[in-house]
Amino acid sequence: MGPAQGFTTPALVSQLLVGLSLAMVLFIVTSGLSFILGVLRIPNVAHGSLYMIGAFSAFSISRLLGGGALGFWLALLLAPLVVALVSFIAERTLFCHLYEREHLMLLLFTFALMLVLGDLVKMSWGATYRSTTAPAMLRGSVNLFGSPFPRYNLFLLFLGPLVAIGLWLFSNKTRIGKIARAAAVDREMVGAIGINVSWVFAFAFVFGCFLAGLGGALVAPTISITLGMDHDIIMEAFLIVTIGGLGNMWGALVGSLIFGLTQSFGILFLPQFAIVFPYAAVVIVLIWRPKGLLKSVW
Amino acid sequence: MTEKGCTMRQRCFLKSWVLATALVGMSFILLPLEAHARNIKVGIIDCYSGPPAVYARDALNGFKLALKEINKKDVLGRKKEGLLRQKIEFTTRDTKFKVGIALNMAKELVMREHVDVLVGTINSGAALAVSENVAMPNKVPFIVWISKSENITGKKGNRYAFSTGENTAMAGKAGGVALSRKPYVNYWIAGDDYEYGHAIGKAAWDNLKALKPDVKVIGESWWKPGEPNLTPYITAILAAKPDAVIFCTGGASMTNIMKAIKTTGMAKKVPIWIHTAIDYGVDKPLGLEGPEGVMGTTDYLFYYPDTPENKAFDKAYEAAYGDHPGFSAFHGYITARFIAQAFKKAGSLNKEKFIDALEGLKVKSPAGGEVEMRACDHQAVLPEYFGITAVSPTYKFLIAKDIVTLTGAEVMPSCADVMKMRGK
Repeated sequence: MGPAQGFTTPALVSQLLVGLSLAMVLFIVTSGLSFILGVLRIPNVAHGSLYMIGAFSAFSISRLLGGGALGFWLALLLAPLVVALVSFIAERTLFCHLYEREHLMLLLFTFALMLVLGDLVKMSWGATYRSTTAPAMLRGSVNLFGSPFPRYNLFLLFLGPLVAIGLWLFSNKTRIGKIARAAAVDREMVGAIGINVSWVFAFAFVFGCFLAGLGGALVAPTISITLGMDHDIIMEAFLIVTIGGLGNMWGALVGSLIFGLTQSFGILFLPQFAIVFPYAAVVIVLIWRPKGLLKSVW
Repeated sequence: MTEKGCTMRQRCFLKSWVLATALVGMSFILLPLEAHARNIKVGIIDCYSGPPAVYARDALNGFKLALKEINKKDVLGRKKEGLLRQKIEFTTRDTKFKVGIALNMAKELVMREHVDVLVGTINSGAALAVSENVAMPNKVPFIVWISKSENITGKKGNRYAFSTGENTAMAGKAGGVALSRKPYVNYWIAGDDYEYGHAIGKAAWDNLKALKPDVKVIGESWWKPGEPNLTPYITAILAAKPDAVIFCTGGASMTNIMKAIKTTGMAKKVPIWIHTAIDYGVDKPLGLEGPEGVMGTTDYLFYYPDTPENKAFDKAYEAAYGDHPGFSAFHGYITARFIAQAFKKAGSLNKEKFIDALEGLKVKSPAGGEVEMRACDHQAVLPEYFGITAVSPTYKFLIAKDIVTLTGAEVMPSCADVMKMRGK
């Protein structure tokens, strides 16, 4: 039972790219969590449930449209909107009454919401595994430097940076983005200059959840869509947000890269212990910088 | 409560004493009658919430389908006029996939519901815990119908534990025997980092190595159960260029690994064996987008063998539940038949007599032929089918082709081996 023998350059490159593509999905999900954490100061444990709803919605939408390429692309577009709608309802009916409560209360509340949403998903989609597929152009693998590389992961590698650029443009170039950032720093001040903070919060919450839904729709073709995927992602997402710096978007990106890359290289070098690497990285980062790598808004 | 009729303490005591004696006396007269006429009670503990609920529900459906037929007649086979027809009734408890809850529920079913037989569950840890901590001390027979832990009827087997499903020893041996006939030498083993994954990997490898001593493991990788991102594992395995890969995955991981195999095109580059790759429960959610050319094993296929019995079972199951029967539905069905026939053979509701009757009992299999409950270890003798995933002309999901049947005798450890494991 010797160690892996795959330390050739092509293997390293393909492992690097796979790691990066994993990081992209993690980034899309955690940037949403981080955004909500920054602007609303809500540690939203139900974020993973919204990701799960995104994946299940993507399944249903693509099934409804016959499952072809059109189904996939429309699902990618519509599933996050479904999640946005769900989160909008949750924000206007539940969250908006709770902003002034302490963090522990919010944590407990979102935890309860996670359980409720989990049961709602079970009631709407049942307990069976669901599966949806990418269109033909994104299936199979291409030969990259002599190693097979899945096309879908290549697609994720293109999409991730696009989302990151979009987020940067949004938070730096648009008015609402700037207000949201301002609210993250000092919400009283934003209210004092006559901006309706309640609607800023509603928008920020829905926007963050939209990203969770997008993440869910993006992973849908690569995994089994099942109950319990909410728990899987939320653990990782909170770790990433913590090591990146609470509420910092770029921290979410750095954290996701650390998580994705330590995982994929861990698998290559020491596959028996691959599970440990991302968590070991988290421990090291937190010992070195207990407040996260980048500036926390908290 | 105030007792107006009692002026003195003694008289009051006497009165209630007489009443109590009368009640006890009456119950002594009535009990034997009641015991004869009462139905057989089966207590089912299983996971009816969360992802494993799929298999638990199928097993229950198979069980219910068999009961429909069984309960048309008196279970003990008595034809005396005037007696109520004796039926099998059941009650279910949700274990939520937790060992602690399973134990409490099993105890409750035994103590309060006074069930005659316990049946369960998909969780191996729960099945073993109930077998050792509830069934054995309370002397209640316990039939395991989904969990694939070989310890249930192997190392940790006991007089009260039975299994009506395949286990990791059988599945691993089937895989090992089938792979030993192939020319591959350098293997990579990967899978879910929990008991089922390691047990099936070890069983397959030990059998393969025994039959073909020149095989080698060139690397292993183990991920946390349910790990959604398996692509980096596959790219790393492909980089090591093994001759063949053994994946040890179960549950939701099956869909994940099958999808990852499809997206990376792995099956076209290296031969792969995964125990349940040809199982209906795995292939159905994938539809026609499942990967072709993956070797797999299972103990039940609704389309093979192509016997009239199997066809009839599939048809009846589909009519009742709108779906084809998977392996756990098959296990549920034979479990009901074993229970009914063992009670009939025992001729009473005595649990010890039931166990004696069940040992070595043969019931008709819905797949055709008979299934025997092996007397020495209480393991149902089931065949294993080895096949390769392929697109089907009839169904909208992958089916197995080139099926090779390994009989129960070929894949089960011998009685002597089991007794050695149990230290007897």
